[in-house]
This record gives sequence, C-alpha cells and structure tokens, in this order.
Amino acid sequence: MNNGIRKIALIMVFSFVFLSLGLVYWQVVKADEMLDNPANRRAIYLEERITRGGIFDRNGVVLAKTEQTADGKVRTYPQGEMFEPLLGYATVKYGSAGLEATEAETLLGMKNPSILRRIQNAFELQRTGNDLILTLDSRLQETAYQSLQGKTGAVVAIDPQNGDVLALVSQPSYDAGAIEQDWDEIIAEADSPLVNHAFSLFPPGSIMKVVTSAAIFQAGLDTTELYDCEGSTVINGQTIQEQNDKAHGWVNYDLALAYSCNTYFAQYGIKAGVNHFLEAVSNFGFGRDIPFDQYVPISSITRDDPLPENLSLNLFAESTFGQGQVMVSPFHMALITAGVANDGKIMVPHLIDSVLDSKQNSIYRRTPEVWLTPLSKEEAEKITSGMVLAVNKGTASPGAISGAQIAAKTGSAEPGGDGDTHAWYIAFAPAENPEIAVAVLVEHGGTGGGAAAPIAKAVIEKALELKEGEN
Amino acid sequence: MGLGVLKLDDMTESGFFLQGAVFSFLILAGALFEIFFCYQGDPYLLPVVQTILAIGLVFLTRINPALAADQFIWANLGLIIYYAVFLILRDYRKLGEYQYLWGMLALLMLLLTLIFGTTINGATSWFRFAGMGFQPEELVKVALLLFLASYLSDNKELLRFGTIQVGKFSLPDAKTMGPFVFIGVFVLGLLGAQKSLGTALVFFLLMVFILYVATERLLYLVVSVPLVMVTGAAGYILFDHVRVRVATWINPWLDASGGAYQISQSIFAISGGRLLGTGLGNGIGAYQIPNADTDFIFSVIAEEIGFIGAMAVISLFIIVVMRCFCVSTRAVDRFGQILAAGIGILIGVEALIILAGVTKMLPLTGLPLPWMSYGGSSMVGHFLLLGILAGISHSSAFSVSQIPIGKQADAL
Repeated sequence: MNNGIRKIALIMVFSFVFLSLGLVYWQVVKADEMLDNPANRRAIYLEERITRGGIFDRNGVVLAKTEQTADGKVRTYPQGEMFEPLLGYATVKYGSAGLEATEAETLLGMKNPSILRRIQNAFELQRTGNDLILTLDSRLQETAYQSLQGKTGAVVAIDPQNGDVLALVSQPSYDAGAIEQDWDEIIAEADSPLVNHAFSLFPPGSIMKVVTSAAIFQAGLDTTELYDCEGSTVINGQTIQEQNDKAHGWVNYDLALAYSCNTYFAQYGIKAGVNHFLEAVSNFGFGRDIPFDQYVPISSITRDDPLPENLSLNLFAESTFGQGQVMVSPFHMALITAGVANDGKIMVPHLIDSVLDSKQNSIYRRTPEVWLTPLSKEEAEKITSGMVLAVNKGTASPGAISGAQIAAKTGSAEPGGDGDTHAWYIAFAPAENPEIAVAVLVEHGGTGGGAAAPIAKAVIEKALELKEGEN
Repeated sequence: MGLGVLKLDDMTESGFFLQGAVFSFLILAGALFEIFFCYQGDPYLLPVVQTILAIGLVFLTRINPALAADQFIWANLGLIIYYAVFLILRDYRKLGEYQYLWGMLALLMLLLTLIFGTTINGATSWFRFAGMGFQPEELVKVALLLFLASYLSDNKELLRFGTIQVGKFSLPDAKTMGPFVFIGVFVLGLLGAQKSLGTALVFFLLMVFILYVATERLLYLVVSVPLVMVTGAAGYILFDHVRVRVATWINPWLDASGGAYQISQSIFAISGGRLLGTGLGNGIGAYQIPNADTDFIFSVIAEEIGFIGAMAVISLFIIVVMRCFCVSTRAVDRFGQILAAGIGILIGVEALIILAGVTKMLPLTGLPLPWMSYGGSSMVGHFLLLGILAGISHSSAFSVSQIPIGKQADAL
C-alpha cells in the first residue's frame, strides 16, 4: 500500500509544481500584457493612489499640479488654456491626452523603477510621482498664445542651437481644469480643440521652396543665373501660375526666394531633377519619424507614399513650391527652419528639459544632439541670404523688426477646395547668429505676410527681448 | 503583539479583540498541547495548518473585516473541535466500525440538502436555519472518507486480486464492489443534482485515488479517465453554467466584463502581483474580484504578496498533504492508513482544483480553499479531519518498534 501512497503523493507534488508554473506564467511572463488588457482597470485604480508629479516650464512656472483637497486629488492647470492641447489632461472619466498621457509613466513614477524602488513602493501607500521640467518658456508661450488667439492654427518656436521647444501653441484651445464639466462642448466645437494643430499636416505652399533650394544647390545649378519670370509658365501641359499672376521679371535665386517666384522653383527644381529633390526632402525629414516625446505624423510628398521613389512631372512641378500633395506639420516646419538657422544641422527637438523625482533629484536631463544634416554651412548661408532678402525687399517684409535682422519666408498654401489659403510664416533671428526659429500657421488666414507674419514678429521680438534680459 | 496594537488603537470594542485573544490562546494551547497530552504524533501538521489559518485570517480581515470577525469565531471553534476530537476520540479505530452508518449519513445529508436546501450561486448546497448558512457537503466529506476507509480496509484483498476472471482482468464480484459503487454513484448523482459540480469532482477524484492507494491497481485509475470524460461531457450538455464556465475558461477576454468577469479579474489580480506583490492592502483585486473572500482568496494573496507569497502558500499546502501521506505510511493499521491517505488526497485535490481554477488552468469550480477561505462548514469539516489525523498519528507513535505486531490495538 505504501507504494500506492508514494505514487499518489508524487502525482500531487507534480500537480502543485505544475500549478506554480501557472503562477510563473501569469505573474512573470504575461504580467505586462495583462496590465494592458482593456478590461483591466488596475492601472487607473493604482493611479488614484499616486500623486501625479507637477509640470513646470523652464523657469519653474507651474503648468500643472495635483492638489489634495477635502474631496480628494484635483489636477489643476494654473495657466488655463495657454498650454493646451500640448499639456493635455488626465481624468479618470475621459482618460488622458497630450503630455499627461505620453509622460504618464514618468509623472506617476512607474517608468523603469529599480528593484529597490519597487520594494519601497510595495510598502509605501501614498506616493508622489516625478516632476517634469519642460523646455517651454511661459512668457514666450503667452506672447504666442495671445497673438494667435481668435484664429485657428499653430505657433512653434525652437531654439535652433539645441532643439529646445520654447513655445508651442495650438488654437483653438480648451481649459484642461474644466475638461470633465465642459467635455461635451469641447468635443462639439469646430476645429477640434483637443487636436494639436502643431502636430497636424497641412500643405506648406511657398515655404517648401526652402527645401527645394537644397535640391537646386546639390544639383550644382548656377544660382546667379538670371531667369525671366512672366507670371506663368507651362510645364508638360500644366500651367504654373504666380500669385496674382504677378510677373517678377529677371530674377536670380535670391530674388526668386525673396519674391516667392513659383515658376523659378518649378523650372529650376525640374532642372535639378527628381532624384535630387527627393533626396533633399528626405534629408529634411520627409517620410521619417521625428524623434520627439510627442507623436508627430510623418510629413509626406504624396498621398500614397510619404517618400516615393519617383514623381510624375506635373506632381513634381507642383511639389517644388509646396502644392500638389505635399503635407507637413507646423512642428516639422519649425525644425526645417531651425535647421537652416543652425548651419544646416537640425537638432533633435526636446520638450522635456529634465525629470526630477519626488525628492527633487534629477533622474533625466536632455542632451543636444543632431538629428539630420540636410545642408552644408554654405548652402544654409545661401538660403539665409535669400530669406533675409525676402524680409528686406520681398514678401516677408511684414515680419521685419527693428534692432535685429530676421530671415523669413512666407507661404500661402492652397488648402484644396474652397476657402482662403493657409497663411504660413517661417523665420529665424538674428540672421547672423540665430537664437530662435519660428513657424506660424494660420489656417485659412489668407497670405503669409498678412496673417502669419505679425504673429511671428511678436514672438521673435519677445524671444530676443528675453535673451537680452538674460545677458 | 497584535493584540497590544489593537488595544493601543482603542479598537478593543471591535469584536476582534476578544476573538483575537481566544485565537491566540488556542494557538498557544496548540504549542503546549504536545506537552500536556503527551502528543507523540506528527509535529508539523498543526503548526502548518495554523499558519495557513492565520494567513487566511489576515487576508480576510483585509478583504472584509465583518466576515473576518465571523471567521475568527469559526477558526476558534475549529481549533476547539480539533482538540476535542483528539481528546474524546481516544481510539479512532472505533470510527471504522460504523462503516454503513457513515455511508448512509453521507447520502442522507446530501438528499436532505437537495430537498430542503437553498440555492446560492447556482448550486443547491446550502442549508439555512436560524439565519445561518451551512454546507452539509463539508461534513459529507468526513462521513464519506470514514466509509471509504473502513470499507476499503475490509475489502482490500478482494478488490485487489478480484474473484471473477474477465478476459485478462480479474475483477472483484458484485457483492464486494456493490457498496462502493452504490455509495459512489449516489453521492455523485446527488451532488450533480445539486449542481455542486466542483465538489462532485473532488469526491470523484477522492474515490478513485483512495481506491488506487488501497489496491495499487492501475486498472482503477485507467477506468476513471473515460468516466471523467463521459460525466464531464454530460455535465457540459446538461448544465448551462457549465457551458459558460468552459467558454470563459477557453477565452475569458471575449466577455471579460460579463460571464468571464470573475476569472478575468482573478487573472488580472494574479498577474498584477508580479514577483513581489503590491504589498498587503495595496491590491485592487480585493475590491474587484467577486467572492474574493471565499473561492478567490488565493488571487488576492497572489496579488498582494506576489509570486513569492503565493508560492509560500502553495508550499504550506504541499507540506500538509505530504505530512498526511507520512502519517499514512506510519499508521499502525490498515484503516488508519487508508483514512490518513484519504485525508491527504482530499485536501490536496481540493486545493489543486480551486487553485487551478483561479489560475485558469482548469475551468472554474467554486470550492473553498481549506482553512483559508471564509466559511464555517469547511472550517469545521477540515478540523474534524485534522483531529482524526492527529489521532492516527499519535497512535502510530507507540508502534512497531515497541509493541509486538498484533497487539498494537490492545496497547492503547
């Protein structure tokens, strides 16, 4: 009988061992997957126990913080609408969006905790997450926000030398502190306040000529050569028109950029060849993921393929001056501008300056690094001189400021269908030693010089004034 | 020490204090038990069970303090029953004399439950009187074990070697096999009619394994496999809730907020615990899983003290089961041997089925985890068995080495 008992005992032990393998499966192998299961509310309930870290601008101004009140924790946004929708919101009812969503793990202190930290967490009921210090400057943000108010569009200001995002405004906006009460109104509002327009795609129009310039240079074309602009030209049966059919007369590259001459860029772009053009747009980041903390859609040359192998002649001609099917986000446009400003090197953009844990120890700090190098220093200087001419003699003149030389380019992009053109303005200043690069988009605002330039001007003036104050 | 904290926190009114004090006293008594009553049996069983009991009480207090206050009473009652059984039942062998009484008692209890019982969670397994719920099937386990052990010790040889030759196999005759099959079919049939399918599975495995232990004939194990399949299929076809259980077992994520709510919440809790657990009191499962205080207490444990804690609990059960088998191999007589093995099989099978259920390794069947889940009937039943086991173990201490074989019975 002892033999039988031993066998049954063996069966039992094996069953228990098998059972513990089940535990290993769930608690080790599948643990992350189960936490992501939509029916699992665990993450939300756990979150309620953790005090979300604060969000601050580069000077320590509070942008978001969690306050303990009698009814529990309340997330407040002292700056109101100014930083929305970039900052986003974090609610139990509607989930989260913006930085509050993408940086949730950091703010809640759940990102890659050390073993020691995990053991501490196990015994600590009330916990505080990490604080985020952003690269944004709330004073510059305020200027950008005020200038764009009442319009639809976006303003992005970047420090070209290190990729710091100094201001990022999208209009319309909303008050994240009142998101739960106003939810239905906010989602019903026109032009979607919840969508960050700086991270949405638009046709760039003439600001694309900055990118096309690179193709012209890199094909080795003579930019001093004169071209007679007659107000329109026919390429492969398709008529390319100037804005208001204006004939610019004899122009070289600098003047063509200054006057924003469509026919020059179409003719010279085609002369440079589709391969040089596609290489140039690729070098500027079209068809590439932007290495950024926030999701930015890929800028694209055609609807079907962000970076096609080839282009039909007609589509190529339109693409050279930013029409056709070219789509780009204001954020990417600001990066392109910053690249021209920074001797042809586009820095990796940063929104998060540093992360501090609950005891104010720094656990992350950004480091400047180069993302792309679409231009050589000489090529960047050539474009800069064209953009300076555009401010001093050309279409970009409404953006000129006293006391500093700015370099700029306008764009008035046909949105397709009815409605006014999208007004674009990209600029950097001071032209000789750039400290700020700006991209402004006013949707259906009309001309770049009319609607977008004053906003860029205000932002650049404020930025230079702040720099002056620091020095 | 815990009592001191309660005193300091001015919680002496809460009802926990008195019960906690009694509980502590009874645990202490357990420690002195060996000395006072010259207990010579297995020294590990009681402390390990008390550990399981204490962990269960801690988690119940955390999940539902009101229930925990009740559970303290049951735990205290259980411990008293354990000591009482050991003291009163000087010779467990007398239990074996009432073979058919136990069998009939088991059937009667089940029959009465089926007729007069209350249905809770789909199973008609509850008796309600004076506002208290009681599950007779927990006592049926005791009665059935006693019947099986005495029946098998009487008929071991006949069952083992058989008297009728059928082809290659020599099978026992109808008269020998009759009572076993009769009781088995009726017990399982009645449980099936009550829709207590988890308990039916436990009883079935218990009978098969204990038969194997007594006879060491693989034939009985082999025959049981198609039997399980046929009855499982029948259950699947006959009962709606079995079909739901199987469907949610195969894919709980399809209907995670509906029919599969229990199992998916259990899995979420277990996987949320990871290696070290969320810490006691930090888990979400205690509020989210239905029946966290009974069938799913293990999921809460696995979440809050993690893989390490859950493995510790599993190990405690392995120790209890293995000690039962140890007692069995050392028992002085055949009845005690089979009975002790049966108790081990019962506890092991119960723990395995419910643990495999909450970890989605088997379809879910509602069963309490012995000594851990909330429930008075289960507590009383299992302490009865533990008391009997202590008796068997104690008797075997004065055995073979000192007393000539054949006179062991007289020696006690």
